[in-house]
Amino acid sequence: MLQIGSLVDGKYKILNKVGQGGMSVVYLAMNEKANKQWAVKEVRKDGVLDFEAVKQGLVAETDILKRLDHPYLPSIIDVIDTDESFIIIMDYIQGNSLNKALDEFGAQPQDEVIKWAKQLCDVLGYLHTRTPPIIYRDMKPANVMLKPDGNISLIDFGTAREYKEKNLADTTCLGTVGYAAPEQFGGMGQTDARTDIYCLGATLYHLVTGKNPCEPPYEIRPIREINPNLSSGLERIILKCTQRDPNDRYQSAAELMYALEHYEEVDDSYRKKQKRKLALFLAPVVLALLFAGASVWGYLSAEKQRTADYDFILAEAANESDPTTALNRYYEAITTDPTRTDAYLGNDDFSGMIDYLTRDGELTVSESSWLSCLKAGLDQKGSSGYSSTVDVLEELRAADPSGYEQVCYEIGEAYLFYYSVPVEKDRYAAAATWFQYAKEGYPIADMYCQISACLQNIAKYEKSEQHAKLYEEYQSLWSQILKLKTDANDFDDDLKLRIWNEITNMIQNNAKAFCEVTPPEEILAAIDEISADSEKITNTFLEKSVSTLRENIAATTNKILSYAETAE
Amino acid sequence: MNYIVTANTDIGISKNTNQDSVSLKVMNTPQGRMALAVLCDGMGGLAKGEVASASVLRAFDRWARTSLPRLCCAPLQDGVIRAEWDAIVQEQNRLISSYGTRSGIRLGTTVVAMLITQNRYYILNVGDSRAYELSRELRVLTQDQTVVAREVAQGLLTEAQAQTDPRRSVLLQCVGASDAVAPDFFFGTPLTGAVYMLCSDGFRHEITPAEILEGLRPDRLTNEQAMRSAAAALIELNKQRWERDNITVALVRTY
Repeated sequence: MLQIGSLVDGKYKILNKVGQGGMSVVYLAMNEKANKQWAVKEVRKDGVLDFEAVKQGLVAETDILKRLDHPYLPSIIDVIDTDESFIIIMDYIQGNSLNKALDEFGAQPQDEVIKWAKQLCDVLGYLHTRTPPIIYRDMKPANVMLKPDGNISLIDFGTAREYKEKNLADTTCLGTVGYAAPEQFGGMGQTDARTDIYCLGATLYHLVTGKNPCEPPYEIRPIREINPNLSSGLERIILKCTQRDPNDRYQSAAELMYALEHYEEVDDSYRKKQKRKLALFLAPVVLALLFAGASVWGYLSAEKQRTADYDFILAEAANESDPTTALNRYYEAITTDPTRTDAYLGNDDFSGMIDYLTRDGELTVSESSWLSCLKAGLDQKGSSGYSSTVDVLEELRAADPSGYEQVCYEIGEAYLFYYSVPVEKDRYAAAATWFQYAKEGYPIADMYCQISACLQNIAKYEKSEQHAKLYEEYQSLWSQILKLKTDANDFDDDLKLRIWNEITNMIQNNAKAFCEVTPPEEILAAIDEISADSEKITNTFLEKSVSTLRENIAATTNKILSYAETAE
Repeated sequence: MNYIVTANTDIGISKNTNQDSVSLKVMNTPQGRMALAVLCDGMGGLAKGEVASASVLRAFDRWARTSLPRLCCAPLQDGVIRAEWDAIVQEQNRLISSYGTRSGIRLGTTVVAMLITQNRYYILNVGDSRAYELSRELRVLTQDQTVVAREVAQGLLTEAQAQTDPRRSVLLQCVGASDAVAPDFFFGTPLTGAVYMLCSDGFRHEITPAEILEGLRPDRLTNEQAMRSAAAALIELNKQRWERDNITVALVRTY
């Protein structure tokens, strides 16, 4: 025992005894020269049965300990080995141990405990990362000093090892072994950093609940069973720290530090908040999807209804005997869904408007007005009762460009082949107004347009008697006709016959002029070719058309021959 | 009901001190004859365990001399015994721990106390000493307050693992080294012609329950001499099996 008032190492004057542990006494000492207070810890040799072993451990450790420098650790200044005792000079830490705070005030405020926990975690992390790692092994409130500035200091350090080794040959009591982790009793693996994690968890449990885990019921319950106001995040952290199996605990002080810094995020209330945020986000998303679905469903069923209506109207039109009613029905079908071509072209079940108009092999002028009306747009009765004009062809073009071209082409053909006007150029002109929209998909439509243009020019020049230009136009017309003849080969027999007829008529009507712009032999050769090709048509349904064509060819040939003779 | 009582204790093969304490009393009271057996297993880092065990033992002795006669004016009541014994343990806990703090040591003791009256027995237990009832079979009347016993109860360990667990001698609580003590109480009806046994943990680690029952069969323990030698034989058996702890056993034969 050091005497009060005595000098240690000639420098440190022992002022009084401030604490007593199992095998050591702590004194407050004063270095009078430097006027600074120190703590002097005396480890009595007679108090330790196996002091030599203890001392060896101590000497080896003190060299490491002297180099430790951390704000939450008292610095060890000097170690003195005397006959009766081992004296350690270290920083004097003012304040009280947390143990005392627990005795006086019971459970400590959660925020404070978490602050201390972070500081303890910091110290443990520092110790564990030394080489070799230093395991503290005896974390408990009694070893944590609360300094007047509110920070903590981990004391009873450096002499730790000598009585941290639990001797379990004798009966011992939990109260004397502290918050020993299961592996500290031996037989369950080495003690390591995770042992300190366990003891820190037990310390936090004691601090925050006021319940010593070494007292009944001797186990670490979820802290909110003791005080429901505590954080569930802290509860999880403490439970994870104090798992029996070291592998189930936080594996390092850094991991625990991270958890402590984010304890609110593992809190139930925080999770609830996040869940609420997620719900707030999801609700509009779900609603948006729902509304989108509803609108798609509505659109589809309206579409379905429209299709049904369309087909019904179209069937009515096709089966109607009164032409005006039938054509009005076709109009109705077109306005019901302008984007479909069935009403114009017909489908597998019903004939379309164009077929209906030309079913008798003739498109009269009055009939043709039904087609020209399409260009002006059709009246449609809206749901409000007012009628509005719908540009049905434009709508078709926007929705289905190739369908639009087909419709225009078919209408053009109807004019070209069936329009009952006596003047050839008028027929072509009428057809050309439709063919012009089908030029892209139908090269032949372009050709008809050019022929039409030639015919218009010829009429114009004839009137003004511009013979030179007239001559040119006929040349051009002739080359168009030759080209048309060539292209006709690409079409089916029916159309071929019509085109050939058209060519023959054209030659017959303009025989005189053609004979002037081209040698009659060439014209005759072209007609002969048509004649020869027509013989190849074997379809019996077309026999009558073929024979009409033959007659036509014969007449034309005669006419050419007569002109040729005249020319000679 | 009458009683034959004996107590045997042995320092064991490796310890320097015997820290166990045991006392037996047979008393004549207005409520009939009673037997009080108290057994304490002391522990302490500085060979002061016997101080703690003796202190608790004496406290129960004092109670038997001063309080019990007063209580015996009327039939005994469970609640009264419970309250008085609990007060004894709490006071001893405070006294021993303040002695420990003063001397800079940690010391403590287990205690098992059993009072047998004509129609009821009362047992108090702190720690891992035990009370048994031997008739045709062996029955443990107390519950160990040890870490392993709790873990067995929680299903974390099996009985077999508990036998070899390094923590098998770590107590949950004891008198003098825990901040708070909560003794267990067990009450029941004593049998006539049975043997009631209190023992320290040293007595029961190395020998089996079957050996205890065979060695201490009530029909053979008909006099003090037989009881003493039967107990001594079992203690000897323990030592042959390298039991290192102090060994103590107290027997009460009812007839």
